[in-house]
Parts: sequence; C-alpha cells; structure tokens
Amino acid sequence: MSEDIERIKQKRKEWEERVLKPALERFWLKESPTKFYTPADIEDFDFLTNVGFPGEYPFTANTYPTSPYIPAPRRGLPGASGLVRAATYSGYGTAEDTRDYYKEMQKRGQKRGPNLAFDLPTQCGYDSDNPVVRGEVGKTGVTVDTLRDFEVIYEPFQGELELDRIASNFTINGPCNVIVAMYFALAEKRGVPLDKLRATPQNDILKEFIARGTYIFPPKHSMRMFRDSLVFFTKYCPSVNITSVGGYHIRGAGATREQDLAFSMAILIAYLQEGVKAGLDVDSFAPRFSVNAFGGSMEFFKEIAFQRAARRIWAKILKEKFGAKNERSMLLRQPAGAHMGYENCTVQRPLNNLTRSVVGAIASAFSGGLPIPMPPYDEPLGLGWSLEASQLSEDAFKVLYYEAKLNEVLDPLAGSYYVEHLTDAIEESAWKELGKIEAMGGAVAAIESGYMQHEIAKSAHERQKRIESGEDLVVGVNCFVGENELEIQITRLVPDPYDPVKREQAEERQIRNLAEVKKNRDNRAVAQLLGELKDKAKKEDENLIPSFIECAKAYVTEQEMCDVLREIFGEYQPATL
Amino acid sequence: MDQKKRIRVLIAKPGLDGHDRGAKVLTLGLRDEGMETIYTGLRQTPEKIVQSAIQEDVDAIGLSCLSSAHKYLFPRVIELLKEKGVKDVLVIGGGIIPSEDILYLKEKGVAEIFGPGTMVKEIAEYIRQNVKPR
Repeated sequence: MSEDIERIKQKRKEWEERVLKPALERFWLKESPTKFYTPADIEDFDFLTNVGFPGEYPFTANTYPTSPYIPAPRRGLPGASGLVRAATYSGYGTAEDTRDYYKEMQKRGQKRGPNLAFDLPTQCGYDSDNPVVRGEVGKTGVTVDTLRDFEVIYEPFQGELELDRIASNFTINGPCNVIVAMYFALAEKRGVPLDKLRATPQNDILKEFIARGTYIFPPKHSMRMFRDSLVFFTKYCPSVNITSVGGYHIRGAGATREQDLAFSMAILIAYLQEGVKAGLDVDSFAPRFSVNAFGGSMEFFKEIAFQRAARRIWAKILKEKFGAKNERSMLLRQPAGAHMGYENCTVQRPLNNLTRSVVGAIASAFSGGLPIPMPPYDEPLGLGWSLEASQLSEDAFKVLYYEAKLNEVLDPLAGSYYVEHLTDAIEESAWKELGKIEAMGGAVAAIESGYMQHEIAKSAHERQKRIESGEDLVVGVNCFVGENELEIQITRLVPDPYDPVKREQAEERQIRNLAEVKKNRDNRAVAQLLGELKDKAKKEDENLIPSFIECAKAYVTEQEMCDVLREIFGEYQPATL
Repeated sequence: MDQKKRIRVLIAKPGLDGHDRGAKVLTLGLRDEGMETIYTGLRQTPEKIVQSAIQEDVDAIGLSCLSSAHKYLFPRVIELLKEKGVKDVLVIGGGIIPSEDILYLKEKGVAEIFGPGTMVKEIAEYIRQNVKPR
C-alpha cells in the first residue's frame, strides 16, 4: 500500500511538472484554480474504521442501515398532497387562530401533529399582558400564556388524532419545562398517560446563548432546567425526545463550519454530563437526543463532508468519552440533513433561492438525508411562507427523489479521495477546537466567558468583509447586478394562511383571553402553588417539572412560573461585544 | 476640529428578537469605517434605547428587528426621542422588513431601511451623508 502511495506521490510530481505547469503557463496562471485528489491525500484511510456500513459505528455512511425517512411505496400513483403544512413549523396569533389554521389543514388532508412555533414573549417567558412585550404578541408564532391556550390549540387533535396518536414539536428552549408541563397537563386532563406521548421540544438552551437569543436564566441554572427535563422524560415519558440539539442556528449566527461542529459537540457533551451527573446510565437517555438540521451552506462538498464528520464525531464522543454500549446512543438522529443555510437566502432576486435550496437538497441526498429543498424561496421576504413557495419546494423534493432517484444509494461519495479527505479535515479541526473548549471548562464555561459568542461574531464579521471585498461572491448581491434589475413580484395566488387583520388584532385579543383566565381561576390556589414552586426552586436537587404540571393545571401563567425562577436563578446578562 | 469628530452610532436591538448577527456585524463593520459604535445587546425596550442614545450622545441609531414587531417598536423609539426633545439623531433600521412596511416606517420618521444583503460601506456612506451637523 505505502509503496503505491509513494508511486502516486512521485507520479504527481511528474504530472505537475510535465502536464500541469505548461497548461498554467499557457493561460498565464500563477497557480491552478482547481485541485485534484488522489489516494495520497487519504493515506491512512481504512474503510471499516473511517466509513463502515450504514447504521453501524462510526456511522459515517449513514445513521441507519437504510433511510427510515423514505416515503413508503404507495399503491398507484402518488397523490398530490399539495398545500398541507400542519407538520411544518407553524403557529399564528392567538390559540384560536392557530386552532383554525390546523382545522383548515386537516380539511386539506393533514393527519400529523403540530410543529409549534411560539411567539417571542412565550419563548422568553413573558405573558401577553406584560407592557415589555408590546408589539410582539402572536408575531413569530402562537402565543401561550396558560393551559387554556394549549386546550384551544389542540381542539382539532382528538379522536383519531388524540395526543397519544400524534407527535408534537415545540420550538421552545428557555422556558421549555414550563411549556412542556402545560402539554403534560393537557394530556393528564384528557386521560392520556404521559408514557404514551410523543413529542420533541427543542430544549437546546446553550445554543440560545450563542445564537437565536431566547435565553432567560444564566447558563448554570438553565442547565438545571435541562437536567430536570432529561431525568423526567427518561423516567416518565420515554417517547419524548429530550432535546433537538445543535442545528443550523449556530451557523446562521455566523459560525464557521468547524466552529459550528465543535460548539455543537461541546454543547452535546455538556448535556450528556448532566444526565451522567444525575446518576443515569448514558444508554438510558442518549437515544432520546435528536438533532435539528445541522449546519448548512452553499459549499456543496464541504456540507456533505460535514454531515459525515458530524455523525462520526458524535458516535466517537458517545462511545469513547461516555462509554456508551448501545449503538442507538451513538447515532445522530436527524430528520433533515444538509441544506443551503437559511442565512444564504437573498432578498435580491429571490427566485434564485429555489436554485440554492435545490443545491442544498442534493447535498442532503448525498449525505444520508432526503433531498428536501429548504427553506422555500420567499423565506427572506417576511415571516410566513407563501403556500406557492412551499409547494415549489415540496415538488422540487419529489422531482429529485422520484425522477432523479437521488436516494437509491447511501453515501454515494464514500471512498472519494476528496470527500474522505474533507471529512477527515473537518473532523480534525472540530476536535482541535473542542479540545480548546474542554480546556476552558466545557461549553458552559465557554459561554459564561463570552468566548463562543465572541468567536461567532468575529467569523460573521470576517464573512461580511469577504463579501464586501468580493472575495466571497453572492449572486445578485455583490456581483452580477446591473442597471436592468427586474421587479420581481411575489404573487400569492393562494391566500396567506394567516389573515392580516387577525394578525393586527392578535395582541389585543390575547390580552382579553388572559384577563378572562385570571378572573376565573382560583387565585388562592395559584398563590399557594407559586409559593411551593419557590421553595422547591431553592433546592438544587429538586426536579421542578411535577410542580410546573400542577401549576399549569391551576392555570398559573407562564410568566408567573418564570418570575419565581427569575427571583431564585437570576437572569442572564450577555457579554458585551 | 468638529469636522473630524468621529460619528457615534448606537446599534440597538429593540424587543425580544434574538437574531443579532446583523447588529453585531454592523457594530464591528462601522468601526472599520472609522465610526464609534456601541451595541446595546438584546432585548432593549424603546425607553432603554432612547436613554442609551442620550447618555452616549450618539449621532445615529441603527435599529435591528427580525421578529416582525418593527411596526410597533421603530416608531415607538422615534416617538420617545421626540418626547425627550432629541431632534438631531438620525434613525435607520434593518432586519426582515417587508417592502410594504417600509413606507409606513418612513412616514413615522425612520430615515432609511437597509435590508439583508446591504453592504456595510453603503450604510456607512448613508450615515456620513445624513447625520445632522452638530
């Protein structure tokens, strides 16, 4: 083998001298604009060690032996599901608005549980009637103040769509345990046992400090909240995912590919340690960790390599650092794979985003995911995707999947000298950065000191400088623009799912809803429950989720619960720039 | 002498939106352009922003919002500036601002809206041309 490598190296030198050099001279080039990879670039490559079979350690080839997400073959021709989005991230205005939206989607044939987007007051632990949140109620998602709102949202989910028959997603982090407790309270009131519930709360609080920003409490206290959910879910609701970790937010905030991978893994390690510290066997909870569409950029091959490296590094962390024995603990569960990176959508010439998302979708298919072009092209034009843009994305997926047959082979680039080299390089630089963070005391310490935040801001700044200098090109933004730009009209042939008049009135309506709840509940019981919560919050070992459930049942508001915790835990004060 | 005084800009995040890549890039980028910049950090009320602007004696305020609450938050900042008798501060905005809202915000007193893809250089030039002489 090494003799072969020596020969290749020798041959390469000859080729550079005899073939490449004259070609470059002919075109007045100082160096080659293209690279070429050979077995000499992956000298230590060993298939079983580096790649392995799909669904087996180190999971480079694929998470599962075959893709579990491939739609089942149907009898006859696949019907057009069309404009059905309930399982897509959604949530509008008040609970009533969201309920009506899901009813409409069910009329169109939707049979899945909701993937709930919450408004920012809910995500930051404030009630709708707090003057501090004026202008924000019901804007980025549905607003939730009390159990009453969950009761209304889930009205269409009964009978054959009862809570034990659907899976729900909640994009909630800071007050995750409070919001999930409302869902548990709803289930208990409906007589659905907790161990039958299927749900995924995002519950990735550490990422909020470095991207996305919906934190409430300082990192240490936030980790106590995380521990509570990890322990509670493991014991009482084995089908609820503990966290949907990582994802595209860190990259979206400006991190490089390598920082993204290292920071995400440092955060993963911090979460795993919470479970271990609580005395649980890592194999009892790690299989309930999931991942939310890691990474994302327009660099096609690097994103493919990134996904492969992410699977491998995750597996190694679980096996080597945490001594996991069950292979299910070691696999990176991610329903969506590579993508273009939402931050790379452009407002300028927005239809180009469809082209970009298709490139991301192909990268996904080549690295173990489905070719889902995301996001829809009108993402940067305002919150709330048009149904047309959604349908175009859905259809592009079908074209790539059914016509181009991109998913017939798993890990089709395995063994490519270039992709294997890239995969190794990305993994190696992530380990290096991870080592640095470990030396600082881990993810929590690196966030408390502002290290991660600072590094990400620096990378975002560098990227902007490269765009301004023309070193990085973005079509229609810093290049290929001219005098004759077309006015692109984004027509919405199908009405927006959310009526703009309702949108304007959502805040007012919700404030009235909340006043009604506060008037009709037993306020003495509320005061007593909040007192008990406070006593428990003071004790570090106490798991607060049972108290949140009791509070939720008594219609204690989200902010009332969070305020008790704010008093005991304090609030996070970000590092300055 | 006064001519050479550096332009001071407050980059602010009103409301609860946590997407601050743009705000941070602008804070650092305008520094490269020779300006003094102060970043408020996340979750600032309009009151706090106006207070910081007065305290820091800035020439311009850049408001960033991606949560769709701009129609309330941006005009509120301008209203409060007026209440405090501040007339010489240029207010510009950015974020995910649908084109149909831009006119509304301008009517309310936001001088200009810079959307995604805008070069820092362009914003710096706009600020230089439009800050009120002091």
